Amino acid sequence: MKSIVCITGIIVAIGTPALPAQEIALPMKPGSVRFLVLGDAGTGGREQYDVANQILRFGRRFPFTFAIMLGDNIYGSERPQDFRRKFEQPYAALLASDIEFHAALGNHDDPNQRYYKPFNLGGGRYRTFKKGNVRFFVIDSNYLDPEQLKWLEKELEASGSDWKVAYFHHPLYTTARRGPEVELRAVLEPLFVKYGVDVVFAGHEHIYERFRPQKGIPHFTVGGAAKLRKGDTRPSNLLAARYDRDRSFLLAEIAGDTLYFQAVTRQGAVVDKGSVARREASRPVAAATPAAKAP
Amino acid sequence: MSFGALQNRGRIGVVAGIVLVALAAACKGEPDSKPAADPTAPVFEDFAKRVEAYMKLREQVEDSVGDLDPTKSQAEITTRATTLAAGLIKARPDAKPGDIFTTEVATIIATLIKQEYSRRPDTVTETREDAQDELPDFVPKVNSLYPTTYPLATFPPTLLPLLPPLPDKLEYRIVQHYLVLRDIESNVIIDFMPNAVPV
Repeated sequence: MKSIVCITGIIVAIGTPALPAQEIALPMKPGSVRFLVLGDAGTGGREQYDVANQILRFGRRFPFTFAIMLGDNIYGSERPQDFRRKFEQPYAALLASDIEFHAALGNHDDPNQRYYKPFNLGGGRYRTFKKGNVRFFVIDSNYLDPEQLKWLEKELEASGSDWKVAYFHHPLYTTARRGPEVELRAVLEPLFVKYGVDVVFAGHEHIYERFRPQKGIPHFTVGGAAKLRKGDTRPSNLLAARYDRDRSFLLAEIAGDTLYFQAVTRQGAVVDKGSVARREASRPVAAATPAAKAP
Repeated sequence: MSFGALQNRGRIGVVAGIVLVALAAACKGEPDSKPAADPTAPVFEDFAKRVEAYMKLREQVEDSVGDLDPTKSQAEITTRATTLAAGLIKARPDAKPGDIFTTEVATIIATLIKQEYSRRPDTVTETREDAQDELPDFVPKVNSLYPTTYPLATFPPTLLPLLPPLPDKLEYRIVQHYLVLRDIESNVIIDFMPNAVPV
């Protein structure tokens, strides 16, 4: 087992060589479900465009078919020109390649985004969709009313043996300064545990974090696709990896009973990679290997 | 026990407390009188009627504006929201604070919120979003738009089940110490109550 040490804000695994820029650490197995994870992207600023360009570079060698957006899809005003500058232009190449975007709503998002077709919310604040053997649950963590909870429980119960991936804006676990959403955790985690949610993605905090399984569930915070809270993560025994030095996004692949992931900075450095096994697969969690320090 | 059941129990507990106080007051004067009915019920019924009246008016305005299906055109979404907002504001020219949050229901809701906040563990209080940055910081005004320069602060999920339910076109929002009633699609503040939320 590798020993882990924290250096300048990221966790690195001693003895793990740095990955060259744009190296794909994902297996790209035939028939796998491949997707992009990005959160807090909609600033329209240079950093968002830098990240988008890096996504394109990686996308050429890791062809994914859809993206999940973890909220704060459009910051500030939401005029038509804002949607162009903060979404349609930075991701123009992806949209032209028919990459689907499946957005969750963040606290900076007008709920009317549910009607914006490219976000695939279908007129609702929350929804579920399926890709291969993976069922995604898009939750509106801004307004978790009893109706939504009832819907979630019903959908989780009905999802059978699919992989269950939940994503929403506010992280249930984070070391960032603003802290985790413990009220949301109290409401959502029992459902996730009861119905076997396999992995959770959230944004809101403008950093990257991966938590060791909490009550059996790994939690990722991927909120740095445009904004950054530099130095905002803190050491914690609960953490498997963290990165808060630059903007970042995550590439993910689900093949069989394993989810493979790779976190990438806007400079193209890989700051975390590894795999997690599906909870119901009743096999040990595969070793997740944090990658080397980013340049 | 499910979380939902716990929430229901919490609300029942709060309402039961209010009922007990009312019962005690009633029994004090007339020992032989029958147990009083839930004193909050007519207040919540009145609130529901006021919400229903708003929704009826809203339907009329919405009929003239038209429905909206998901579209690639953000311009279409924006135009509809703006038109709907203008129509709703025009339809309620004399709307004022307290039209829906009457003094009676505001008193009960404020009690529910304060009791829920007082039950919160320290960890919740320390990390709750509504005590942090990125908070909406403005004074709400009836028949005005919720300023789009402010985010919509996350509503405490443990509080929502305790409040009177709303149609899916409306929502509660917290702005400083105000509880705001917001029309979601038009972004119009249709009422608010001050001193509802401990700050």
